[in-house]
This record gives sequence, C-alpha cells and structure tokens, in this order.
Amino acid sequence: MKKLLKHLANFFFSLKTTLWLLGFMLVLMLAGAFIMPAQQEFETIHSIPMFEWLKIQPITITWWLWGLIGILTFLTVNTLFCSVESIIKKRKVTQWLLLISPQIIHIGFLFMLLAHLMSAVGSYQQFAVALEGNMFRISDNAVLKIKDINIQSDYNGYITDWKVGVEYLKEGKMFQTDTIVPNSPSVRMGFNINVKNLQEYPYKAILLQISREPGAVWALAGSILFMVGIITLIALKINMER
Amino acid sequence: MIILALSLASFLFALWKRPLLHIGLVLQVAYIISRGIQLERLPLVGPHDTLLFLSASIAAFSIPFGFLLKDRKQFFNVVTVLVSLYTVFVMISKQHNSPLPPVLKTFWFECHVVLAFMSYALFGIAAILGYIYLNDKQPPIQPLTKEGEAGFENHSRERQNTTEGLQYRAALIGYCLFTLSMIFGGIWAYLAWGTYWMWTPKELWTSILWLFYSFYLHARLRQWWTGRPMAYLGIAGFVITMFTYLGVSLLMKSSHSF
Repeated sequence: MKKLLKHLANFFFSLKTTLWLLGFMLVLMLAGAFIMPAQQEFETIHSIPMFEWLKIQPITITWWLWGLIGILTFLTVNTLFCSVESIIKKRKVTQWLLLISPQIIHIGFLFMLLAHLMSAVGSYQQFAVALEGNMFRISDNAVLKIKDINIQSDYNGYITDWKVGVEYLKEGKMFQTDTIVPNSPSVRMGFNINVKNLQEYPYKAILLQISREPGAVWALAGSILFMVGIITLIALKINMER
Repeated sequence: MIILALSLASFLFALWKRPLLHIGLVLQVAYIISRGIQLERLPLVGPHDTLLFLSASIAAFSIPFGFLLKDRKQFFNVVTVLVSLYTVFVMISKQHNSPLPPVLKTFWFECHVVLAFMSYALFGIAAILGYIYLNDKQPPIQPLTKEGEAGFENHSRERQNTTEGLQYRAALIGYCLFTLSMIFGGIWAYLAWGTYWMWTPKELWTSILWLFYSFYLHARLRQWWTGRPMAYLGIAGFVITMFTYLGVSLLMKSSHSF
C-alpha cells in the first residue's frame, strides 16, 4: 500500500506526467475538432448545461469530451502537486517572485477550469422572439417588458446601431428601467438579458436571450491571475538578461 | 493596390538588399492606416486586412529578433519569403468594405483581434527560428547540469542567445499575447452573447493552439526536449496557428468564418 501511494505521488509530482496529459488532451481535442463539425447533435450543446447534454448524447460522438474531463481531473491534481512541490523545494531562492509567478499562473488556470465546471453544471439559456410591448416572466417573479426597439440603418440597409429599452415590473408596477445596447446587456439577479438578433421590417422584432453563466466571475478571476503571473514571469526573465 | 505591389517588390528585393524589408514594412503600415481612415474603423475584418496585418507584424517583429541573432542573413531571407507570400495572398483576396455590425464596434473586439494576430506573428517568428536552428551548424545545447537552481540559471543564460533560446522567447511572448487575446475574446463574448465560451470549431482550435504552446513551454523544462525537438515543436505550432486562422475560418462553419 505504501509503495503504491509512493508510486502515485511520484506520478502526480512529475513534469513528465504533465506533458503526457497535455499530449493526450491535444489528441482528444484534435479528434473532437473533426467530430464536432460533422455531427448535428453538437448544434444543441449550448441549449442545456453541458453535463446534462452529455448524459443524453450517444457516447460514440462524445467520448472525446468524457476523455477530456477525465484528463483534466488528473491535470488538476498534477498541477496542485507540482506547484506545492516547487514552492517547498525552491523556498530558499532569493527571487521569490520568480518562484511564485508560475504558481500564480497555475492557480489562474485552475480557476478557469473551475469556471468551466460551474458553467457545465449550472448554465442557463433561453430564447424568445419579442415585439415592442411584449412581457416575459423572469426568475424572481419579476416581469420583463420590452418598452421600445430602436434600430438605425444606413442607405444599404445595414444595421449600424440599435437600442432596446426594457422595464422590470412587479405586481404590475414598474420598479426598474434599463437599456440594452450592443455589448451591454441588461443584468438582473445574475441573468444576462441580451439581444441576439434584430429585425426592422415588416415590423420591429428582436431575438431575446436570457442566460446565466455561473462560472463567469471565476473565469475572470482566473484570467487576471494567469495574466499577472505570466507578465511577472516575462518581466523577471527580461530583467535577468540585463 | 499600388502600395501593396510596391511593398511586395520591396520584400522580394530585400533578399538582396535587406533595408528594403523596412521599406516594405513602412509601405504596409501606410496601407493599413489608409484603410483605417477609409473605413473609419480598425481594418481587421476578412482575409485581406488580417493577412496584411499578419504580414506587417511578422516583418516588424523580425527586426528585434534578427538584431539579436548572430547569423541574420538566413533568418531575414526566410522572413522575406514568408511576408512576400502573405502579401501575394493579400493582393488576391477580397476587401471587406461593408460597415461592421454594431456588436463588433467595441474595444474588446479590437484588442482581441490585434493581440491574436500579433501572437500569430510571434509564433511565425518562432517557427522561422526553429527552421534556422535545424539548418544551423552550431553545436547542440549541452544537457542541464545538476547544480540545482544556480546551474539551471547559468544554463538558461547560455541558451538565451541561441536560435533555440530566441525561439522560446518569441513563443513565450506570443503565448502571453494569445492568452490575453483569448481573455478579451471571452469578455467580449460574455457581454455580447451572454457566454464566455462557445463550442464552435474556432474556439476548439484556439484551445488546441493554446494547449500546444502550453505543452511547448512545459516541454522546454525537460532535458529530452531541448534542441531539435523544440525546433520541430516551434514549426508544428505555426502549422496549427495557420490552420486555426485560415483553415477553420475558410473551411468550417464558425462564429469566426470569413
């Protein structure tokens, strides 16, 4: 048992393991890159949380995604083990920033994985076609009303800008107004309310999207950590060369 | 189009007179600026403008990297051939002159695209350096010493000024810019479409590319991969880069299709 645990620890402490795992991930993703465009089932992948979607799809087309989940689990453990080992082994080096910055990159990467995991479990997406004056009941018993749709087009008919005014009502009374413009959704109770598409003629209509990404904040935090780590590392390397 | 033809001629003659590479670069930058003024936006949509930006970026990044190399001639010759080839494709590809959809008029999109093509250019420089390394007669890199941290640092210093060391630098900076581009793309997608990640061929290939260079950067820490294997990895990385950029956009249905 002790020997087995030692083997297991050595496996997870090894950079060689990291390279094998990254290599396997690349192979699986390459396989997926050719399977995905060829299978119609993947068109519905965003309609429900990914883990639910995976459960109802045939394994013959999703095996590479299951494989990726398995490898990412190993990679997470491997990343944690290697980071801890690196800090313990090199704790006496004078340039602690050089020691810590790769570990910050690793933490950022793990946060991003956590973000994808959370989104794969709890994401939400619904679409609806809406006209001016239409109302939709949303999660907290509030009602979303499409107040007005403003579309600007050029002489060729290209939409150059748009603006959608919305109102939130509770028990028939308006308590909040908001405006949705390109790249600026209306946000309510963790849900993003976006306009996915617009039509001006024969009548003004929009394709409304209500979505939730529980991993978004973690993804942002992970991204910031990753970039802080990598920029520090590059700056230190440049400094060392001088 | 005359400016592009002149830049192509400059690049071709740069094979004999290297300063002409700079003139070709200046002409391409002038063309990019003129397109920006004409379109009243950043000219980075469609193969015409993006290939041109890639060509100019490779030419621009080649200057500092070439400056650090001992044998510059072969490096600049390969750069010249590559940017000339891209310029020919720029000249035969159609311009995208229609106004941008409102969703593309954002700082996040501009940063996403600019950083992506700058990173592609650096991956291109890394591939060229890998090619030079494989054709080089310089002695192979000695294995790591077993003197711990100090030994590793001394060894790293020795490696810095080799073509392989420069390839690593180009790939590392490219990886940093590419990661930043993916982050900006994620933020933009979240604001525009409510999700920071979409399962489309482009996103998948982008992840493959990012993972490949993660592999490259980790592999360099192991002795077995030093030297020729790293050079081959640098070249393979640029092949994946080109497929991610052109192959996916032209052949597969994606949010990034041309």
